[in-house]
Amino acid sequence: MYPEHLKYTRDHEWLRDDGDVFVVGITDHAAELLGDVTYVELPQTGTIVRQGDEAAVVESVKAASDVFAPVGGRIVAVNTALEGRPELVNESPYRDGWFFKLEDVNTIEVDALMDVAAYRRYVAENV
Amino acid sequence: MRHTPLSEWHEKNGGKMVDFHGWALPLQFRGIIQEHLHTRGAVSLFDCSHMGEFLIQGAESIRLFDRLVFCDVLGLPVGRARYGSILNERGGIVDDVVVMRVAEDELLVSTNAVTQEKVANYIAANVPGACNASKTTAKIDVQGPMSGHAMRRLGLDAIDPLQYYTCCKTHWRDTPITISRAGYTGELGYECFVPNDLAEPLWDSLLEWEQVRPAGLGARDTLRLEMGYTLYGQDVDESRTTLEAGMGRFIHWGRDFVGRDALCLRGEKRDYPFRTGIRSKSRQAPRAGQEVQWKGEVVGVVTSGTYGPSVGCGIGMAYLPHQLAVPGMELMVGPRAIPVETAQLPFYRHGTCRC
Repeated sequence: MYPEHLKYTRDHEWLRDDGDVFVVGITDHAAELLGDVTYVELPQTGTIVRQGDEAAVVESVKAASDVFAPVGGRIVAVNTALEGRPELVNESPYRDGWFFKLEDVNTIEVDALMDVAAYRRYVAENV
Repeated sequence: MRHTPLSEWHEKNGGKMVDFHGWALPLQFRGIIQEHLHTRGAVSLFDCSHMGEFLIQGAESIRLFDRLVFCDVLGLPVGRARYGSILNERGGIVDDVVVMRVAEDELLVSTNAVTQEKVANYIAANVPGACNASKTTAKIDVQGPMSGHAMRRLGLDAIDPLQYYTCCKTHWRDTPITISRAGYTGELGYECFVPNDLAEPLWDSLLEWEQVRPAGLGARDTLRLEMGYTLYGQDVDESRTTLEAGMGRFIHWGRDFVGRDALCLRGEKRDYPFRTGIRSKSRQAPRAGQEVQWKGEVVGVVTSGTYGPSVGCGIGMAYLPHQLAVPGMELMVGPRAIPVETAQLPFYRHGTCRC
C-alpha cells in the first residue's frame, strides 16, 4: 500500500523525486488516521523551508495536524486543487492529493529518509 | 473496557473502535462525513447502549424525582418526554437528561454515559425507590428522514401517533420495549430502549433494509453540533450553570427544584459567560479548548468545534461574555487566528425532527 519509489518520514509524509522537483504529500496511513480531510492550508510558493518546518496544515472532522517539510528546500508549487477538494488527500494520497513541490533540496537529507521497507516496518511498530 | 451488547457487532463489521469514557464504541464505519450525510438524507443506526436508564415508579418516587430536575415532571402528561437537567445546589449541571412519562406511575429517565456512577448515586440517595436499569437496557437510536419507514417495516406501528418528544411502550418479538420520538441529530428519529438480548436482533432487522446503515460517534458529534446541542462533559458540566449553557427556556420556574435559588441569584446579575455558536468563514474548524480572541484580547474558550458537513464550514460553540453573545460578532479562534463570527443556533436549519 506504500509506493516503492518514495521516501518517507516518521511524521508520515512522503517525498517523490520527479527529476527537476521533489513532490510532497502524506501517506495513506496518515490519511486513514486523520479520517475525512475537510481543509488544507498550503504554504506560499517561494517560501524557503528547513527540514521539519511546519509547511502546511491538514484538518479533518476530528482534528487539525501539521504537515512538516520532509527536507529543506524552496517551495515552487502548491496543489491548489486541495482548496476546493480536500478529500483528494483521502482519495488519492500519492497522486492527486499531493501538497507542495520543492526545489533546491538538501540531498543529504533526502538520502537519510526512510525507504519503503523501513517505513513499512516503522508503521508496523508504531500502530 | 466495557462492552455494549453491540460492541462485538461493530468490531466485526468494520467499526473503527475507540474508548469512549471506558466504553468500546465505533468512531466510524465507512467515514464520518458519509455517515453524517446519510443520516440527513436517509436513516442511520446509533448504538447508545452506553447511556444510562433509570426507572422511577410510583407517585411518591416521581414526586421525589421531580425536585431533582429543572423541568416540571409532575405535570408531564403520560406519553410525553421532556429535556431537563439535574443541578447541584449552585445551579451547576450534574447531568442533562430526558424524562419520559411512560405510564401514569412510571418515568423512564435517559442519562449520559460519562456521568452514570455519579448520577446513579445521586438518584439513589434522593429517590430510594428508583431502579437503575442501565446495565440491562440497550438503546438504539434510529435517526433520519426515513426512520419512520425503517421502524414500520419491523411492524413497529406503535410509532404512528408519536410526535416530537413523545414516547410509548410497545412490544417487539413479544418483549416489552419503550420508544421515544427524539434523538441527537436534528432529524426525524426514534430512540429504542430494549433489553440487552434484543439489541442485536433489532439492529440486524433494521439493517435488512438497504437504506439503513450503521453510524458511529464521529457522525453523532457532527450532527449534534450542527444542531447546537450540547455534549455533557465538554460543553456543559458542574462548573457551568444551566443559564450559562443557554438552557433557561427549558426551566419551569414556578416550582421548587434543587439549584433554583442559585439560578435566581445568577439570573438577576447576568454577569456570566454565555454559550454561543461560532461559525468559521472557511472550512477551517474551531477546536475544543482553543481560546477566543476579540480585538486582541482573550474573551472565552471553545468547548466544541468541528467541520459541519451539511453547512460546509467550520462550526463550534464557545462561552463568551454577554455583550459578545449576539450573532454577527467578528472573533478570532486558536493559535492560527481563524476568523469566526458568532451565529444563532442551530447552524443547520433543515432538520426533519419536528416534521
